[in-house]
Amino acid sequence: MSPGPYHQAADLSSLEPGTHLCAFDRDDSRLARVAANFIDQGLSAGAQLLYVATDDQADALLGRLRAHVHAPDALATGQLVIRSFADAYGTRRPDDLGAVADGFRAAAEQSRKDGFPALRVAARMDDLAPLLGSTEEVLRWERMATGLQHDLGVTSVCLYDADRLEAEHQALLAVEHAGLCPERSKAPLASFLAVDEPWGLRIRGEVDVSNRDLLQRVLESRAAVMPRVRLDLERLTFADIGTLSRLSAVAAGLPDDGWLVLDRAPDVVRRALDLCGLGHERMRLEP
Amino acid sequence: MTSSVATHTGLFYDSDAQYTREAGGFLRKGLELGHRALVIAPPRQVDLLRAALGRDTDEIAFVDDGIGYTPQWNAYRVLLDFANEAPGVRLRVVAEQTLTGRVPAELLDYRRLEAAVNVVFADFPVDVLCPYDAGALPAHLLAIGRHNHATVLTDGDLAPNSGYDDPLAVLADLSGVVQPPPDATTMDCSSPTHIAEARRLVHTRGAEAGLAPDVVANVGLAVTEVLTNALLHGAPPAHLHVYDEGPTWVCHVHDGGRGSLDPLAGMVPPTEPSDHGYGLWLARQLCTAVDVGKDRSGTHVRLHTRRAAPPGGSDLRA
Repeated sequence: MSPGPYHQAADLSSLEPGTHLCAFDRDDSRLARVAANFIDQGLSAGAQLLYVATDDQADALLGRLRAHVHAPDALATGQLVIRSFADAYGTRRPDDLGAVADGFRAAAEQSRKDGFPALRVAARMDDLAPLLGSTEEVLRWERMATGLQHDLGVTSVCLYDADRLEAEHQALLAVEHAGLCPERSKAPLASFLAVDEPWGLRIRGEVDVSNRDLLQRVLESRAAVMPRVRLDLERLTFADIGTLSRLSAVAAGLPDDGWLVLDRAPDVVRRALDLCGLGHERMRLEP
Repeated sequence: MTSSVATHTGLFYDSDAQYTREAGGFLRKGLELGHRALVIAPPRQVDLLRAALGRDTDEIAFVDDGIGYTPQWNAYRVLLDFANEAPGVRLRVVAEQTLTGRVPAELLDYRRLEAAVNVVFADFPVDVLCPYDAGALPAHLLAIGRHNHATVLTDGDLAPNSGYDDPLAVLADLSGVVQPPPDATTMDCSSPTHIAEARRLVHTRGAEAGLAPDVVANVGLAVTEVLTNALLHGAPPAHLHVYDEGPTWVCHVHDGGRGSLDPLAGMVPPTEPSDHGYGLWLARQLCTAVDVGKDRSGTHVRLHTRRAAPPGGSDLRA
């Protein structure tokens, strides 16, 4: 199911890590909607999001994020990072694309060190052609980015103002990407948002066989940085037994001084834990 | 009676005096041997035993049958939890519930429960006594007791029960498949993302049926686990059928898996924490009755929930 307006819209809920997407539009507000959708979906999946855009474009984005993705929180935890094009890609034409690759690699590595399972990037590309000097160079860049991001597992969407592109160039650019990013996607079954104080995750919605492996990856990324993890479950409405056994397995994998706190777990989770005896000494319910 | 093998004994009593003499004597003998004692029984029977046993009752754990048999498979859980409090110590258990209010799906499951005790707990250090009120129960309910206990208690002695049936044969006999009716609501659940939609259907229909939110949440969890089993361990296609059947509301999971079915699957929980194996155990702890069967089209698991009682009427028996 792809409710987006594009014919070949990618399904953001089942992207392979490292997928290189694009969007073209003359209408800036539609590009903003694409960016907001991509960032909503990525934040919900626990990924770190880098938005490369102007201040005005960033402000427009923050107003469009879904309510559950509380933008100030996402900015405060560093799960959402906004950079200008100049800060992200530099102001001088790079001598070779290897330097760009090193920058990407460093960003992906930093994301892991900050406790995120993956980095995703949404970038306004309007300044790329002026920076690189030619449309040929932009194509070369995009081609390189596809391979590099696949290797690094960095998913991205390149947002192009169609007014600034020749039709032929737009078609060539599209070919260098794996698909179009839709303006709208179905809301994910659950969101896994980073929390800094106390260190952990805020889980909202339902977790079952369709998304429990993702939760485990997100949780393990948090625990790898700090093994004392608190899960805010106040807005969790469902978790199946496989999810609970994964939580228990994560707790079992923590060092002796680590813990996994299930904060405000709903009754259906408490009942299931009780019936299946899936507890672990380093996993505890509060209150 | 050797100490390593379980016993499962029927008691058919005609009077309060006979009940207290036999069940009380059974418990007292266990306490004398240093065994631990547990009684799951209707309040009236508990009162009789308390009066008869005097100070000995302090050493006996009593559980109201309204808790111990809600749902019926909870009785296994109560027994296992009690055993885990003192591993290795032999148990004496008196287990009886009020059968007269049970609906047909529950009685079918009760027959399975009584038959399976003989196999599931065969190597368990436990002596189970199941009293049946021979003066009050109709013949078809007394028959459950007559066919599923290897021994009968009479005047303090255990005698072999000539009416005892092979428990695995009983279980096989009770595993017949009932097909969903033509007017059932059917949903394709062949992909992991369908399971959330199945929960949505369960919640909508459960609320429409007037069921309490926590009951519906339990059924939603049970359906999720059984469907997830079907997806991960069964074979496509997987479907959820939802329909009324007399006094129960049924969520029926059907998948194409044709592998052999362990007749005892999910009657007790996995002994070690595991990624799977909880589905049927959980379903039996969350639903009023669970039918598991196989036919040429695959595996069927029917999860029954008692419908809300009609206003002013209490008779849900079909």
